[in-house]
Amino acid sequence: MCGILFGTCLSSSLHGLLLNIMEDETTKRKKPRSRQRWLTGGIPMFSRSVMYRRTAKYLKKKPIVKKEKKAVERFVVKEVGGEKNGGTRKVPLQKQPRYYPTQEGRRKLKGHRKPFSEHKRRLRPSITPGTVLILLAGVNRGRRVIFLKQLGTGLLLVTGPMKVNGIPMRRVNQRYVIATSTKLDISSVKIPGKLDDAYFKRKKLRTGKRSKNIFDDKKETYEVSDERRADQKSLDAQIIPLVKKEHLLAKYLQNPFSLRTRQYPHKMIF
Amino acid sequence: MAGLAPNKRLWVKAVFTGYRRSLHTQHEDIALMKLEGVESRQETRFYMGKRCAYVYKGRKMIKRRNSDKKTRLRVIWGKVVKAHGKSGAVRARFKRNLPPRAMGRRIRVMLYPSNI
Repeated sequence: MCGILFGTCLSSSLHGLLLNIMEDETTKRKKPRSRQRWLTGGIPMFSRSVMYRRTAKYLKKKPIVKKEKKAVERFVVKEVGGEKNGGTRKVPLQKQPRYYPTQEGRRKLKGHRKPFSEHKRRLRPSITPGTVLILLAGVNRGRRVIFLKQLGTGLLLVTGPMKVNGIPMRRVNQRYVIATSTKLDISSVKIPGKLDDAYFKRKKLRTGKRSKNIFDDKKETYEVSDERRADQKSLDAQIIPLVKKEHLLAKYLQNPFSLRTRQYPHKMIF
Repeated sequence: MAGLAPNKRLWVKAVFTGYRRSLHTQHEDIALMKLEGVESRQETRFYMGKRCAYVYKGRKMIKRRNSDKKTRLRVIWGKVVKAHGKSGAVRARFKRNLPPRAMGRRIRVMLYPSNI
């Protein structure tokens, strides 16, 4: 009983307001406000009938237009020859199918599984171009690098820059990285399109190749290509001036991160 | 600062306190750990899913997979699976169950897979 009174009280006071709103229908409201209120547990405060009144749905009623059903012609009367044939036949316009399959057609498997190349790539909102990241694993663990962009496979393209802390442009997995709140504005940096996953893909070195004389076998080690050096240089040439502009950023990038006594990551803001 | 080894710790200190157990029975598949600085159940949320490692020394020098160097250090990898109780203890599952001599010993809880 109380609930109904409460509802009606509110709606009557809102009614005038609502009429004003209806008059202003030509001006678009930027944000549609819901007249519903939610209580803890996701329970709506106002019932459907109360909402009907609160949202003034009685003003928004559209007259129901009944669709006129077209009379479907199902038969056609056709003339038939022959003396004792009755002269006409009723021929159905839509013929019954000639064949009913005994089994349902093979159901197409719902292709939920997508190949890796079609996977959705997600990027943590804390990671934006120019963010300083802390690498957590690998050869460069603890080092701070600048995030450039996310590549097609989802890996992050990062660079030291090389001259600053000796870390070349590299791919890194999001999960092995902490994004700090330090961000550098690299909107003016143009990252060449050729720096993609194919560019950084590991080349297989044939170690353990057998030859006639094992002593002649050289262990093939990875060597940095000239193309890589040149690309690194041109990319860093864009970034280093931006780093130098920021006070102490170069020093920050040079110093590796580590946990000290009484430093607990769950209590830290990076 | 010259002469001091650079600090490289990128893991949180934890101690293996025991296996999942009731009073008279223990289940060695799940290890209980106490993480340093974690005192409540809410605080353990950060560590969920983080990889952990029990690092120990063996007797023999063995070669590691990707390097030529031989070392005595050995690792059992695992991950933090859920909270244990109200006071910040945590349950972890290791690839191979932890040996009982690891009780009271150091476990390294890494900061990856990271979510920050």
